Amino acid sequence: MWETLLVNPFMNFLLLIYKLVGGNFGVAIILFTIIIRVVTHPLMASQIKSSARMQEMQNSKEWQDIQKKYKDDREKLAQEQMRIYREKGISPFASCLPSFIQLPILFAVYQSIVRALAASPSQLLILSGAVYPFFKLADIVPINSKFLWMNLGQPERIYVAGLGIPLLAILAAVTTYVQSKTTVPAATNPNDQSAMMSKMMALYMPLLMAWITYSLASGLAVYIIVGNLLGIAQYAMLGKVNWKSLLPGYKPAVTTTGKKS
Amino acid sequence: MKKKIFPVLGLLLGLSLLLGGCATGLTPGAWPTVASNGELAFIAGGAHVYAVDLQTHAEIWRFPEKASTAAPFYAAPAITPDGQVIVGGFNHTLYSLDPQTGAETRTFTGARDKWIGGMLVTDTRIYAGNADYNLYALDLNLNLQWSFQADQSIWGTPVTDGTNVYFGTLGRKLYAVNATSGEQAWAQSLDGAVLGAPLLGPDGTLYVGTYGSLLYAIDPRDGSILWSEAVSSWIWGGPALAGDRLVVGDGNGDLLSFPLGGGPASWTQPLNGMVIGSPVVLGDAILVGTDDNTLYFLNGDGGDIRPFAVSGKIHSTPVISGDRILVPLTEGEALLAVLDANGNQLWSYQPEK
Repeated sequence: MWETLLVNPFMNFLLLIYKLVGGNFGVAIILFTIIIRVVTHPLMASQIKSSARMQEMQNSKEWQDIQKKYKDDREKLAQEQMRIYREKGISPFASCLPSFIQLPILFAVYQSIVRALAASPSQLLILSGAVYPFFKLADIVPINSKFLWMNLGQPERIYVAGLGIPLLAILAAVTTYVQSKTTVPAATNPNDQSAMMSKMMALYMPLLMAWITYSLASGLAVYIIVGNLLGIAQYAMLGKVNWKSLLPGYKPAVTTTGKKS
Repeated sequence: MKKKIFPVLGLLLGLSLLLGGCATGLTPGAWPTVASNGELAFIAGGAHVYAVDLQTHAEIWRFPEKASTAAPFYAAPAITPDGQVIVGGFNHTLYSLDPQTGAETRTFTGARDKWIGGMLVTDTRIYAGNADYNLYALDLNLNLQWSFQADQSIWGTPVTDGTNVYFGTLGRKLYAVNATSGEQAWAQSLDGAVLGAPLLGPDGTLYVGTYGSLLYAIDPRDGSILWSEAVSSWIWGGPALAGDRLVVGDGNGDLLSFPLGGGPASWTQPLNGMVIGSPVVLGDAILVGTDDNTLYFLNGDGGDIRPFAVSGKIHSTPVISGDRILVPLTEGEALLAVLDANGNQLWSYQPEK
């Protein structure tokens, strides 16, 4: 099911783009990322609206009142928060949703990149069986895995004085961090569960992406970095990027429990 | 507040492990291969190379003793005239092993990528192609004599007529390189990647199958194409010589026979499953394995088909050792099936974990 619905379509689509662009797999991954972002744009736009509604709700008097009223009863506070979420039709995890939606796509993209590059006999055999009938695979095998300084089927390093520097892993971490900081609405109440979740995600997602891009095929790193940049651009087009959040010492308008600052 | 961090951390850790597992599942691989010195079978079977006594069926040694996922072995082992067992790993290293103990005696670490294809061994040289696009010529002590950079990865075993070494690449080329100097004699472009070994015919003509579903006859003097014939799917392993005919299998499971001088197939025999390894000739019989767990015996005109079931897929070429047929198995209950010349399975070998 996973293979049929995600991995094989992604892989065939990547190969189709590869063929159309004249055999450059790096360019194929970049175009593939752009297309994925365009296709999922309505989902993202809807999520951005949902985040904005949540932000609005957290600044409401009702929300502030329950923070104050139940500040010493966490269980009751959580129940009341969930009641308001339900009433307003908002998911407390809405701000984290884009990151989570990306993960299964990441798995599928990674598998499709490695499979399409077919760097070993068993991978080529699997590719031979997974490619759609309209492809004449013999025309495009072997897939050119070289792009700029990278072998897209291998983890990337730039060697300086014998030291392997994982440039793409660094870029993946930085762009993930920038995306998280500039696009996730600043929390007005740091004690709020969703705010904490967002804060944790902003901290740990860059680390996770750095680890993934450090240890797996660099084609995936290209996908992640381009995807992050496009994600920031999408938010910017909708006027939802908060560049100030990147400034050192920046603090959103914080509300202590029950009170606006 | 700290307690609330734990679910997030747990979730990320879980996702990390999931992706880690996903990456492990995609570790590039191949399928087991086998060679024999008549006394022992040497099986390149992934994490280890195994030596199995053909009389007692006992495992004599395994190399390395502790499994390493970083250095799986799939390239067909080769045996030198002085008895060394040469194996290549996915860790870019070529090893010389003592055939009796499995002890590592020498290594060649000059390659930059995986050893996938088999090696050609002569009285004084070892010729081996690597995924780093190079054909390496080594002496029997694994000292580099020369290397030749081709256009793409080399997955097939080279052949030689004493003057040149011939090999194909994934870049759809067949090369002839001087066996002594390593200088290119010629290169011929073909319609598809060459995944298997070329075959040298009785008059020196080269025969090679491609992933582009064509079988070629090539003039060894200048690389010119003498003839080509289409088959219905890709050819992975090379053709074999059966009397005065060529036999070759394809990805659709067809086994075909062609006259050496060219022309349409004399006969086509559909089998169940893909044919990935090369056919083998044993006496009057043609043996060919398929990925539907069957070793087929046919006579020279493609008739009298006798299928023999084994407990795994046959992806590599069976090896004849004396009166036994050694069949490496993929994804099966055993790593090696040993059959007699009539196709009866005598025993099988599955390594203990």
